[in-house]
This record gives sequence, structure tokens and C-alpha cells, in this order.
Amino acid sequence: MAIDTEKLSGAESLRKTRTYGKVRCHNPSCMGRLQPRSGDDHVKCPTCGMEYRLVWVRPDFPRIRGPVWDVNRRLAQEVLAKKAAKKEGK
Amino acid sequence: MEPMGKVLMINYEKCTGCRLCELVCSVMHEGVSNPSRSRIKIMKWESEGLYIPMSCQQCQDAPCIAVCPVKAISRDETLDFLKVDYDICIGCRACVSACPFGAMSFDVIAKKVIKCDLCDGEPQCVRFCEIEALEYVDADRVSVFKKKEAAQRLSLAQKEAAALQAEM
Amino acid sequence: MALNRKIAYIDLSTGKVETKPIPLEVRKKFLGGRGLDAYLLFNHTEKGIDPLGPKNTLMVSAGILTATCASATARTHIMAKSPLTDLLGSANMGGFFAPELAWAGFHHLVIKGKAEKPIYLWIHNGEIELRDASQLWGKTTTETQWAIREELGDEDIKSAVIGPAGENLVRIANVMTGIKNAAGRSGMGAVMGSKNLKAIAVRGTMDIKIAYPLEALEYNKRFIDQIVSAKVNQTQGTLGTPFIWGATNSWGGIRTRNFQYNQCEYADDIEPERIDEICTETMGPYHMTGCFGCQVHCRAQYRIPSGPYAGKYDEGPEYTSQGAFGGEPDCKNAVTVLTGNHLVDQWGMDNLETGSLISWAMELSEEGILTSKDIDGLDLRFGNDEALLEMIRRIAFREGWLGDTLAEGGIRAAEKIGKDSFEYLIQVKGMSNLHSDERATPALALGIATGSRGSDHLRSRPAIDLYHLPEEVLRKIYSNPVPYDGPLSSEHTSYVGKPWQVLWQELCYMGVDCLGICKYHTTFLGATLPNFEDWAKVIYYNTGLEITPTDIWTVAERCYNIERLFNLREGLTRDDPKKGDTLNHRYFDEPCRRGAPDVIGSKIDRKKFKKMIDEYYEHHGWDENGVPREETLKRLGLDKEPSHLL
Ligand code: SF4
Ligand code: SF4
Ligand code: SF4
Repeated sequence: MAIDTEKLSGAESLRKTRTYGKVRCHNPSCMGRLQPRSGDDHVKCPTCGMEYRLVWVRPDFPRIRGPVWDVNRRLAQEVLAKKAAKKEGK
Repeated sequence: MEPMGKVLMINYEKCTGCRLCELVCSVMHEGVSNPSRSRIKIMKWESEGLYIPMSCQQCQDAPCIAVCPVKAISRDETLDFLKVDYDICIGCRACVSACPFGAMSFDVIAKKVIKCDLCDGEPQCVRFCEIEALEYVDADRVSVFKKKEAAQRLSLAQKEAAALQAEM
Repeated sequence: MALNRKIAYIDLSTGKVETKPIPLEVRKKFLGGRGLDAYLLFNHTEKGIDPLGPKNTLMVSAGILTATCASATARTHIMAKSPLTDLLGSANMGGFFAPELAWAGFHHLVIKGKAEKPIYLWIHNGEIELRDASQLWGKTTTETQWAIREELGDEDIKSAVIGPAGENLVRIANVMTGIKNAAGRSGMGAVMGSKNLKAIAVRGTMDIKIAYPLEALEYNKRFIDQIVSAKVNQTQGTLGTPFIWGATNSWGGIRTRNFQYNQCEYADDIEPERIDEICTETMGPYHMTGCFGCQVHCRAQYRIPSGPYAGKYDEGPEYTSQGAFGGEPDCKNAVTVLTGNHLVDQWGMDNLETGSLISWAMELSEEGILTSKDIDGLDLRFGNDEALLEMIRRIAFREGWLGDTLAEGGIRAAEKIGKDSFEYLIQVKGMSNLHSDERATPALALGIATGSRGSDHLRSRPAIDLYHLPEEVLRKIYSNPVPYDGPLSSEHTSYVGKPWQVLWQELCYMGVDCLGICKYHTTFLGATLPNFEDWAKVIYYNTGLEITPTDIWTVAERCYNIERLFNLREGLTRDDPKKGDTLNHRYFDEPCRRGAPDVIGSKIDRKKFKKMIDEYYEHHGWDENGVPREETLKRLGLDKEPSHLL
């Protein structure tokens, strides 16, 4: 049977695209790549303004622990209010 | 060739109990998947989440050598491990009873005694154990690693004790 | 040939046992595991039988790769008609049971009838024995396993068992092995209980032949590298599945207070890192463990740090427990989550279903639909941890009116409770939804609505949709192994192309379930993990079966269609709110009240959802009612089912 061991499978070839040292913004439509400084416990997304608490799985591997609740809640409420205003305006 | 000889070092605290080592050991040696024919075995205390890999210690003063009535077991000079010569072995299993670690086993399918042969210097169990519960290191390094770990635990304990005293 | 493996038919009513080799023809059509189980279920049950009666048939199986030299082939599949949904019952678990079953000489068990009194099966190197289990009846899941080992004098025995919940025919009871590996969903534990089957104990020292041992060994190394190099798996290996809960809660995809909110705010005590701290404090720095042959090791070990169960050892909690005993009932305490997890593990109940139903009841009592008389004086409100834990016990032991009612599962309970209680029940096909909220993610919503065992995240979940991968990357994934040139969208809020993604993931998960591999080792949470192409190689090296990636795709399609045929036979219709491909109306009517800026305010659009379903059926070759077309069945060789090949 023709099994090509040398050839990378589709999934394997995608591995090149992986980056370390960055996290992606948890705001699904933003997903901006954030690059915190090693050891920071906190990061703010420059694109959408959401703020997150950080942990470090390894010194080169940051992870978002969770949102900064007050900040992100306020941002979301503002957007919702704008959406509502727009609807009424129509 | 390493003059010191390398040994299989087991860090049982790290072992996740996955038994991949058992699997690859049997595939490597017998060409089948069958942990009961593996040279390494994970002892488990499941109700406490404790897993300890057991394999041959390649003892210096080895009870298996001493007990073998036909002198089938000898030390491999290059890799410094104990090997069984199956042309001589009569399958009496005296070594199985003598080994204090249970590391000499009896393969009921091939009807022969089996023990770790370090995979001719490329231990497969080590290669597959991503978590590094198994390592293949120079014999003289083992105690250094252990010393360091123990020392670290000690220093942590001392720090904790100091902190407790300070609180009192 | 390396694929020379056996199936056993066991009739508990007569005690008769029959074993047969599994023909290669059948392997080629259904591979093994879930796929072959589905075939057997369709062939070995009659329409309309009582799931808790002797005519239901229970399938227990290992995958085609189980116990071969491949990574994480630990999964056991269990199938029967579900006492919870009256449709397909299907559940999957990790641990060490399936490989042991394989070394004991069997890959598939077909269990029929009902034993007169409690028994357990003892399967050992090709032999099957029915043994008295009266001394085991009433024992918890772990007590049962240790007692069997003691009785038979072998520490290496692995058992799949039921706890008190299964004995009490609680319709959300599961089957368990080890400390916490559970075939959780669709009430398979109740099916065992109804057959008086307390446990299946296995132990084997037989060889599983490997077709090309050295090649298999080498390829396995490469396969494992692919698996452990994925960031998602490195995170799993440190924090376990709770990390998914953390990330999802962060943007607002976690059901809270049944379905009132989509985010559990300020829940810092049940964040993955907090749970990890407790595991470290109680079990030391190396507290991760895993299933057979797995290098991801996603399962944490812990001892409950305080409370009435302080000091008890358990594993997990998976993110399902975080949702079920944390977010949904709005109990934001780690100790509650860890304790709830421990209780359902011990008594043998699906954590997800238990937490969901209790949260539903909490909302019903808040709405005045359940009165304090109904709940036997319990203060069943959101955020009451004690009431939550007490309710778990009442369900497991069918205590009190509400305990007994919830033990019947959501739909039956809603019928008993009456009023408009059903409107609050977050379910699909009678099975409670995961604690996730899919209102902002149409692809995920479609996945749960169409799942063959009811609402479920492990039948089809295009989770990578949330990563906003570039379209060309998405296309690379989703047009392999069969070409797809229809529309695709990287937008998680979009409805475009999602039906194809759902179908693709569906067949991908069917594939892993036939192979017996864990879903964290395929395209689920990470885009770089193995799928069809990689599997063709593993199958070949290990079993010698020559199969192409497209063949595996077709097998998966065939198996998925058999599941569909079973469901249609048992009464599935497209728009039935209880048995259809539908969602609770709240998905369409109530917008999300929390979450990230683009999540807050979202809900599913009815029209677009309907269109997605149409499109999804079309991709499958089903008509507008979701019934496979004649030509589809012909193409898959299913036009003459049941065909009784086995
Ligand atoms: S492979 Fe490593 S982690 Fe797995 S059982 Fe063996 S020693 Fe333990
Ligand atoms: S070194 Fe080789 S022979 Fe020894 S236990 Fe490991 S795999 Fe087996
Ligand atoms: S990833 Fe987790 S669930 Fe899957 S096989 Fe490994 S340990 Fe088991």
C-alpha cells in the first residue's frame, strides 16, 4: 500500500503556524494577538480594550486566567447600549 | 561507549500511570501489544492516585546472577546491564523468585524469563515517556539528581518552618 | 492477520455465551467501536422496545485501534436504546477498561436479556463467566471495583460498573471505570441496572498482534509529537479540561442560572487556576494523570480540601463538573464543585445531566412552578450549595417527590411537574445541554441540535470556529479528505458554511469513536491535531488494514446514517421539540445578557437556523425531513438494513 511516510499530513503541516509567547484576545470577534511581557499578570487588548488577568504556564507560555470583570463588563454594556440606541434611532 | 554505564532512572512522582512504557516495551521486544510481556510494570494504588514504575535495577551484586544454577545471567560489558543467555537458560525461574524487585518476570506465552535489556542502549520506555518519569542517565548522576531534589524539599521545609516561627 | 478479533454474545436470561470472530468485511464497513456498535444496535433491537426491559441490547466495545501501538486508544464505547431519550443511547469513556477487554480476547460484547438476580460478568483470557453480585449490590462505583479485585484475587482487573444510581434505574445513571472515567450520557447505567448487571470485570494477558511492529512504533512517536506539541494539549496537560471552562466563561459562553445568563461573573474560586492550586496543595506538583497510553494526561487528581467530604480522593473535575455544579446552579465555590463531582462519581450519575436538571429545578422553584411542597422543604434556589449537594443525593437514591421525579430525566420530569416547566428545560432530544451557551455561535448551536444522541458537544462541535482562523486554513481542514468548495466563514457569528463544518466534525468524531481514540487527539480544540489522513497510516501499521482517508470518511458516514436510521425508527421527526433536531425556544427568543461586546445581545435567528438545518440535511443526502434518501442509503450500502452480518 502506498503510504507516504515522508509527506506531512494536512494537520501536521499546519503546525508551522503556531506562535508562542502570545495570547489571543478572548473577545471572539477581536481575537487580537496580545504579547504580554514575561511575568506580567495583566494585559489589555490594544484593539478592543478588553482587559485580562494572566498566568504563565511556562516562562514563554502565557495564558489568560480570566477577564478583569469590572472593565469588560462596562465595555460590553456600553456596546449593548449603543446597539439599542441605533435600533431605536432607525 | 559510556564508560560509566547509564541507568534507567525512575522519578515515580512524575508518573501519570499511563502505561505507554509497558506497551512500547512489549511491542519492541515481542512485536505484539501485551503489557504482561513488558519488562517494565507500573504498580498502582488507584484509590490514592499513586503510580510507581518498576523495572530492573541492574544490581551490582545481583541476586539473580547468584541464584542461577546454570550461569545464564551475565553482565554486558558495554552497556553495563544484566542479560539472560537463552541458549543456556533452563527456565527454572529461580531468578524470578530471587529478584527483590520482581523485575525478573516470566513470560507465560514465550515460556521464558524476561527482564529489561535497556533496548540495546535506546530505551523505548524513556523515549515515549513525555513526562520524563523515566530517564536514561549516567549512573553517577542519579544520586546527584536525587540529592538536589531532596535538598530543595529540605530548604522549602526550612523556609516554611521559619515562616511559621515568625508568625508565632 | 492482525485484525483477527472476537465478539461475544451474552444472554443474561439464559446464561448462554457465544463467541465469533469479527469478519474482515464487517471491519471494512464499520471499523469498530461506536460505528460497529451502531450497526449491532440497529440489528439487535426491535422498534419501540422498553429501554429498561429485557429486550434492550447493550453493546460494550473497544475501538479498532484499542490496545495497539497507537496513542490514547483507551476509549470504551457503550450503546443501547436510551432510557433517557427513548432514542439512541451512546456513551464513551476513557481509562483502562477497553485495552484490558482487548487483551482478554474481545473487542465487542453484545449483552441481551435480564439476569434473575444481580450478577457480574468475569471476562478473562477468552473466557466469560456470569457470577453472583448480590454482595456487590448497593456498593459505590469504586467500592465495587475494589471488591471484585479482592474476590478474584487480581489487582490488575479493570471493571466497568454501575453505582447505586444505576441500580435504582435513575435514567441519568452512567457506567464507570476507575476513579472517574464515565460513560456518562444517555443513561447507560440504568440499562445495566435493568439487566441486573452490576459490573463487567476484565483481565487479559493475550497478545494483540501488531501488523508492522517497528513501523507502528516509529509512527506512534510521530503521532504523539503531533499531539503533545499542540498548545491546547499542553494546557490540558497542566490544567485539565477546566481550562476550557475558563476561556469560554471569559467571553460569555457559559450557561449560568440554568439559562438566565451566559457568563458566571466573578467566579474566581472555580477558575481553572484555582482548581489547579487545590490539586497542587492536596496532591503535590505532579497531580496530572491520564488514560491508557496517553501523553496528554488531562485528568487532575485532588482531595476535597474541606467540608463534609474533606480528604476524599477523586479525579477531575472536568469542565462539565465546573459547569454542572458551579456555573449553572450559580454556586461559585471550588469545594462544592469538587464535592459534587465526587458524589456523582461515587453513585454513578452523569454529572452534566445532574447539574443541569437541578439548575432547571432551581429556576422552576424561583418561578413558582415548583412549590416548597414539591421539593420536600428544601431551599432550592440558585447559589445554595447545600441544597445542590443534597439534591444530588436525592436523585441518586430517588428520595422525595422531586428526587424521584428528576431521576426520570428532563422530559418525563417535565410531564410530571406540568405547567410550562418544559419551556425552561434546556435539552435536545430529551438530553440536557452541556453548560455551554451557543447563542453567539450558530455552528455550535447547529452541532448540538443535530447530535445523534441528543444535545451534545461530543457528536459535532466545530470549536475551532472560535479561533477565527484564516479562511484558507479553514478550507484546508474542512476540504479534506473529501473536497468542499462551498462557502466557509471564519466569523463565529456567521451562519455561512457552518452546516458543512458541523457535518465534517460529526464524521471526524465518528472516526475517532470507531478507532477508540480520545477526542483531544483529533481536530476538536486544536487545528493541528491528527485526523483522517493520519488515521489511515496508524490503522495500516497497526492492523494491516489498507484503508484510505476517504474510505474512513465513508465508513463514518455509513455509521452516522445507521444512527440516524435508528433514531428515525424510534420516532425522531425534524421539528419535534422533544425528539427532533431542535433547540429550546430561549435560544431564539432571549438575547445573551452578558459576555464580550459582540456576544452580549446575540441570539439565534430562527429563519437562518432553519436554513442551516436544510443545508445540513442536503450535505448528508437526507430529504427535507431529515430522512436519508434512497440513493444515499444505496451509496453507503445501507439499503437493506437490518442485514444481520453479525
Ligand atoms: S510512560 Fe511514563 S508516565 Fe506513562 S506509565 Fe510509564 S513511566 Fe509512567
Ligand atoms: S529500557 Fe527497554 S527493555 Fe527496559 S523497560 Fe524500557 S523498554 Fe523495556
Ligand atoms: S487526553 Fe485526557 S481523556 Fe483523552 S486519553 Fe488523554 S487523559 Fe484520557
